[in-house]
Amino acid sequence: MGIFVMRRWLIALFVLAACRPSGRPPVGPSVQDDAGRTVTLAAPARRIVSLLPSFTELVFAMGAGDRLVGRTAWCDYPPAALAVPSVGDGMPPNVEAVAARRPDLVLLYHSGTNLTAGQQLAGLGVPVALLHLDRLEDLGPAARRIGRLTGRVAQAESLAAAMDSLAAAKPLAPNPQSLVFVVWDNPPIVIGHGSYLDRLAALAGARNVFADVAAPSAQVSLETIAARDPDWIAVLSDSSGPPAFAARREWRAVRAVREGRFLNLPGSLFGRPGPRSSQAVAELRARLEAAP
Amino acid sequence: MDGRVSAPILRLSDVRYRYPAASRDAVAGVSLTVRPGEFHAILGPNGSGKTTLVRLALGALVPAAGSVEVLERPAHRWRSRELARVVGVVPQREDNLFPQRVREAVLLGRYAHLSLWGAERPEDHAAVERALTACDAGPLADRWLWTLSGGEYQRVRVARALAQEPRLLVLDEPGVSLDLRHEMELFELVRGLVDHSGLGVVLITHHVNLAARYADAVLVLAEGRSAAAGAPADVLTRETVERVFSWPVAIQVLDGRPQMVPLRQPKEPA
Amino acid sequence: MRWVALGVAAALAFVASVVLGPAAVPLGDLARSDIVWSLRAPRTVLAFLVGGSLGVAGAGLQALVRNPLADPFLLGLSGGAGLGAVVAIATHLSGPWALPLAAFAGALGALALVYRLGLVGCAALDPRILLLGGVAVGAFAAAVTTAIVALADAAELRNAFLWLWGGLSAASWDSVLVLTLYAPLPLAVLFAAARPLDLLALGEEPARYLGADVERVKRRVYLAASLLTAAAVAVSGVIGFVGLVVPHIVRLAWGHRHRALLPAAFIGGGALLVFADTVARTVVAPRELPVGVVTALVGVPIFALLLRRWTVA
Repeated sequence: MGIFVMRRWLIALFVLAACRPSGRPPVGPSVQDDAGRTVTLAAPARRIVSLLPSFTELVFAMGAGDRLVGRTAWCDYPPAALAVPSVGDGMPPNVEAVAARRPDLVLLYHSGTNLTAGQQLAGLGVPVALLHLDRLEDLGPAARRIGRLTGRVAQAESLAAAMDSLAAAKPLAPNPQSLVFVVWDNPPIVIGHGSYLDRLAALAGARNVFADVAAPSAQVSLETIAARDPDWIAVLSDSSGPPAFAARREWRAVRAVREGRFLNLPGSLFGRPGPRSSQAVAELRARLEAAP
Repeated sequence: MDGRVSAPILRLSDVRYRYPAASRDAVAGVSLTVRPGEFHAILGPNGSGKTTLVRLALGALVPAAGSVEVLERPAHRWRSRELARVVGVVPQREDNLFPQRVREAVLLGRYAHLSLWGAERPEDHAAVERALTACDAGPLADRWLWTLSGGEYQRVRVARALAQEPRLLVLDEPGVSLDLRHEMELFELVRGLVDHSGLGVVLITHHVNLAARYADAVLVLAEGRSAAAGAPADVLTRETVERVFSWPVAIQVLDGRPQMVPLRQPKEPA
Repeated sequence: MRWVALGVAAALAFVASVVLGPAAVPLGDLARSDIVWSLRAPRTVLAFLVGGSLGVAGAGLQALVRNPLADPFLLGLSGGAGLGAVVAIATHLSGPWALPLAAFAGALGALALVYRLGLVGCAALDPRILLLGGVAVGAFAAAVTTAIVALADAAELRNAFLWLWGGLSAASWDSVLVLTLYAPLPLAVLFAAARPLDLLALGEEPARYLGADVERVKRRVYLAASLLTAAAVAVSGVIGFVGLVVPHIVRLAWGHRHRALLPAAFIGGGALLVFADTVARTVVAPRELPVGVVTALVGVPIFALLLRRWTVA
């Protein structure tokens, strides 16, 4: 018994010796954000303020929704998000309201205007992560990084994998049906190539008649829309009837308007990339296939 | 002048007017009657109410007391268009925003005779020609206004007023900024119009001596009141002129008309 | 002579606008094409009416306020129209005519305010007060508009500003009909004021002595020009530059007599806007430029060219 006991005691001694308290606090999760900054937390975030609806959805989707202490007024999904206090519409972010929530992590959409808000928050000692989220391809990296910062790495990884495979998916064999996304009617503004909605349409197998326009959104002449004769007019709308402009005489030069072929896409599901993007694609495809 | 007394073209009776927020009346208790073929001059120092009197005469202002009648009808009842066919005015100041030729400028005087949509007729152009000839401005007809001298420009403005074919001509300080020759030419022109065309004339001027030489009747205003009215020889006495213009003068007579000569009043060094 | 040249220019602009466009319609199919008849033809006619109205309104206003820099939109009308449009969108007014009617109402409101300001005291529509009042009312309306946009549903309202920048995309035979029924009266009032406007150039007092009923003319010209501008804004947003520069371009050839200047400004303004709209639709096809951008880019060189020729001559 003597040497065994001694070895165990020696090992315990070694272990104790190795566990000397160091001069620095333990280093927690750390990621590179899209503004080139390194965001390091002392511990996985427990009080998160999300300033983008897509981030809110991601946080809930990876099971960290109970840690949200602040959201924007636009964050309406999932329904549980509505119980989280709002810190304003986020355009631009109300730094005081955000700081008042005493967050240990703020998720900000990476844009020029938000850089200033980010600096102000960082100046108050609040860790801020500025992340891109314009395209499907941005979802995976964003999810992974949020996962690391919240300590929900495994859940974030499976979420990210699903979103990456969606982003990498080949566009379906083109459905013979074509559509146009009309964002505004006077002057007519349509969605062009490279934007999120355009990708959704491609993944659902529909052809955006304005895929040749390089800008995400562009003003076009009504006669161009009429000449390209899309089968469907898609609008972001939560209501079910035809949009107001359908009653205007000049829009009746477009066949789809005359025939009432409108696709009303709910803004919450279709307006932004997020964990439900594949659901959006599926729903769009279903509507196109169901219609005559 | 024949013995008949024709109806007055313009009659102001005891008019009084005060501008809003002014401390005293601009014009008070002034009367004036102008008949065809009469040349009236209105004299007075600055601020004595001469231009106000013209505005009252033309219905641009409504008197607080007294009456103003043009051709026996109250002035403010005349519409601008009708009045412009009876009275032609050469105002003291006017803007010249656009380059114009003399003929076009004089043609503006025909406005009151033109119908709303109708074009200018031969009789309008004839009236313009007559007006230009009467003012000795015929050779200037195709010149641009901006190329004219001060005297030529004044003649054109008189021609424009004549193109209205009025019965009464009103001129507000027409000689200001004209040199000796041009001012004399202007007064000769006006006198000629009175004598040959039977126009009535009301002419406001600073120039006491010219008024005395050319006018049939003179009205002297001082602080809005009529200091004297009547024939120049009767009215322009030394006492009156000295009182109204606050400066010592001597009166000399030329061609039967009084001419005033201001006397020196050197200042003593302080 | 110059009227012939103007007519030819207008005719060419018309033809180009109907024949050219981002949707390639072969010449043989023009007469049968629905695009041409439902979209291009009414748009061409509307552009002509709007451009002509702005040209005449600009000429009338420049004579009224005796200032060559006057522009129909200096009177606060564009600010009022923008406020009306934004209120309509923020309160979710429905109906295809909601936006134009709200913009028109807003413009009328601004008109009434500035007119009332012009009557304060003994002002009697003093041109300086009209101009200053117009700038003040316009600035006030723009401030209220910005406040509403900042506080309300941001995305939709930002698109309202796009509308305000001017464009003829909402052109249809309906809007052509409305403008055709509406415009003749204010246009007639302005044409009838042509001679008094010549007199007004001498000053208000000399104009009165020459026989013009100055107060009546000022009132009518101000109201008619403003009503034309309000209708133009309601139908096509704020298309700047036409009302300011077309009168000057036309004056270079027709002089200052308004009997010729006003009709020439109508045809010239109409032709310019038709041409500018054609360029706006075709130059970056399938995209479209705001027409106000094109009127400035097209109008300035033309103006500079004419100015050089006539000052050299």
